[in-house]
Amino acid sequence: MNEKTAVTKGSHTAAGEAALIPPVDVIEDSTGITLYADLPGVPKDKLNLQVEADSLTIEGEVGLTIPEGMEASHAEVSLPRFRRVFTLSKELDPAKVSAELKQGVLTLRIPKAEHAQPRRIEIKVD
Amino acid sequence: MKLDELKQSFNSLWDSVADGWQRLRASAAGALTRFKPGEDARLPAKNEVDDDAYLPSHGWSMLGGDVFEDDRRLVVRLEVPGMEKEDFAIEVRDDALIVRGEKHFEREGTEGRWRVLQCAYGSFRRVVPLPVPVLADKAGASYRNGVLKIELPKATPGEPARLTIKVD
Repeated sequence: MNEKTAVTKGSHTAAGEAALIPPVDVIEDSTGITLYADLPGVPKDKLNLQVEADSLTIEGEVGLTIPEGMEASHAEVSLPRFRRVFTLSKELDPAKVSAELKQGVLTLRIPKAEHAQPRRIEIKVD
Repeated sequence: MKLDELKQSFNSLWDSVADGWQRLRASAAGALTRFKPGEDARLPAKNEVDDDAYLPSHGWSMLGGDVFEDDRRLVVRLEVPGMEKEDFAIEVRDDALIVRGEKHFEREGTEGRWRVLQCAYGSFRRVVPLPVPVLADKAGASYRNGVLKIELPKATPGEPARLTIKVD
């Protein structure tokens, strides 16, 4: 998998707002890819994962940063967003993506499609 | 007057101010933090990783922080995802909050090839200057969504200090 070059210059969300690019760790083995992304402050309900054609988009919005009991001085408070887009290689199966979010770290597992997985060929000996 | 106090007060003049609430911004220069893996860290060797920018000896990460203040307390927010609660050591001094911690590299499934390794792992130390004295023994901390939140009651409750600068 590789990254769309646009991401390295600065990311924008669909609405055109600037977003932070989260650091990631990606490990690939024979059965698929595991991706880890640092998304501090993003709660589960503000995490958005989208697969479109061969593109995977990770988008997260940081939950309210102002502590409870302290008033915001103005109604409009800009919330930091994270966004990163990846191109998935053909051998990955996006329909089987599993995701987990724990203490701000997203773990994404994308297995390779059945046909791309290594297969043992049984040899029958008569 | 310490340089840090002056910097923070100057920033706050430009922030909106409401009754009992004033937001201070931690200096951005303090956010870039160095992480140093310990002797027993099991980070992969350089030749095991396809990422040209990767270095097993140390890493850097943006450890964003905010300081909030109202008339009763200071609240410090530090973004450090992927930690366990037990791996934080928080120290309160007269004029600063010192947060030390260790982010462990725990990745099951050592088979496979690392393509990208950008997250920082290891020990870090972050100093957050505090604008007013606080009651260290009444401080409390919580860790949620990868954000460490530390609440520090002020030693002398009162409106956040405002600095007036005269122009000659």
